[in-house]
Amino acid sequence: MDKLNLTLTAVKNLRANVRQCFEHLADGTDGEGVDESRNKFVYDFQDRFGAINSQLREVEQLINGLQVPPTAYHLGNTTFLAQETSQDRQALYPQLVNSYKWIDKVHDHSFLAFNNLNQNTLRRSYNYCSQKRQRLPFSSFNNDPDHIEKLLSEINHPPHTFYKVFRPFGSNAVAMVTISNVLKAAIVFKGVLIEWVTIKGYDEQLDHEDLWAESRYEVFRKVQEHAHSAMLHFFSPTLPDLAVKSYVTWLNSHIKLFLEPCKRCSKYIANGLPPTWRDLRTLEPFHEECRNS
Amino acid sequence: MGVTVLQPYPLPEGKSGAHIIDHLAKRLLSLGATHAGQFLVDCETFISTPQHGTPARAVHVLHNSEYPASTFSIIDNGNGKQVALVADSIFDLLMLKMTSTFTSKKQTKIESRGARFEYGDFVIKLGSVTMMEHFKGILIEIEYRPCVTLSYCWEMIREMLQGFLGINVAKEYPTYFTTQTIMNAMGQQQLHAKQNDIYEPMDTVKQYLEHFTNYRKHVQIHGAMGGGASSVGTVGGGGPGGVLLPSSVGMGGRS
Repeated sequence: MDKLNLTLTAVKNLRANVRQCFEHLADGTDGEGVDESRNKFVYDFQDRFGAINSQLREVEQLINGLQVPPTAYHLGNTTFLAQETSQDRQALYPQLVNSYKWIDKVHDHSFLAFNNLNQNTLRRSYNYCSQKRQRLPFSSFNNDPDHIEKLLSEINHPPHTFYKVFRPFGSNAVAMVTISNVLKAAIVFKGVLIEWVTIKGYDEQLDHEDLWAESRYEVFRKVQEHAHSAMLHFFSPTLPDLAVKSYVTWLNSHIKLFLEPCKRCSKYIANGLPPTWRDLRTLEPFHEECRNS
Repeated sequence: MGVTVLQPYPLPEGKSGAHIIDHLAKRLLSLGATHAGQFLVDCETFISTPQHGTPARAVHVLHNSEYPASTFSIIDNGNGKQVALVADSIFDLLMLKMTSTFTSKKQTKIESRGARFEYGDFVIKLGSVTMMEHFKGILIEIEYRPCVTLSYCWEMIREMLQGFLGINVAKEYPTYFTTQTIMNAMGQQQLHAKQNDIYEPMDTVKQYLEHFTNYRKHVQIHGAMGGGASSVGTVGGGGPGGVLLPSSVGMGGRS
């Protein structure tokens, strides 16, 4: 080992000297006292060249003195560097195929999961919507202000229902709906998405200063609760116009809030309330207690 | 403010009014209603002194504890034409100043008072009608506050009434709503179905007046016939049905 170390040091020195010699040559003379400096330069070069020669000889001697080691040196992980690298022996190929299949599956599953999560319409947070916005060509929020007016005017509403649209919050619209002599509703829009719904009695005040106060009647508080769950049910960022239309159709079915008995128990009153729930598809009236049983 | 319907409760023979009211109150409480104070509706009638052959006019002055700041007055010219007026409670003092033209018929002062119950959005009042401290009958007032027209919620009110009173209530709208006459543009009176109109507090007062008048008439008949206790059940258009057993008519939707 010592010999090996000496040899390596000698090689290092040789390299250093050669490098210095070439640097000297590259620098050249300093140009003053031409003959003197030239002679000095040549002598210096000869000195350095002599040193290189002697060191080269030394290295040769040392290398000749080296013996072939009887056993391999223990070199840690570096031993693997020189090993056989044939593909057949490494068994790399099956592992590659496996990992490729695995990545493929992960991709498939995450795609399905993404689709499923997208169908979860109950999430209405800002993040979710803004992510959607980047992907979808339309924007739910930045709509033409006339669009909502046009949308509401297109809705086929029964003759007893009146709409009044106004914009107390800048571009976002609020639609005041009066359904016959039964109830009043304020639908607060954000773009074309329904943001909030307030239901009040026909004889109650519903002014745009205070859209969030609850009705003083139990029945309309209950209807408002149901209206909110229906709002989440009909929420659809991909087809916002259709969502608004179906929602308003559903809301209009309350015109017979006090007139129709529950479809299930055929009674009018349960717990002091009329059938406040309207089925989302069939629009049939049910008591809150009767709708799930 | 919602639709109010008055329903006289026929007194079964051999039972006192207080007993029946107690019984109905217990039934309401067990239904889930809450006791919410007392109420009083009173009616005083003034008759004008006839002058120069003009017929005597009656002015009915009513108070309703549901509207404590108002005095309701209805002028009746004797042939079906009524003029209604809602004034501040100071109107009573004005009537006192008019004793020269209108004299109060103290003996016909009639009132309905009793307990007030709330059940969901319903307000139910169990009133016992008394005239000159004499018990005349039971008058149930039921109000459904969220609704403003009778035709929308009559079936609900009917179901509610049948449920806790245990009597059969006629399917037709109460007579007050179907037999109203109004003045048309030509100054003629015509029949007007009131069940689709928006209900007003005055309608409640007019209904009370109608029923009070019936009770007063009954007194006169009673006095003339010398005892007609069996006819109590037919007063005020309470419907053709007799008394049903309470257990046979379940409370709607409670099952």
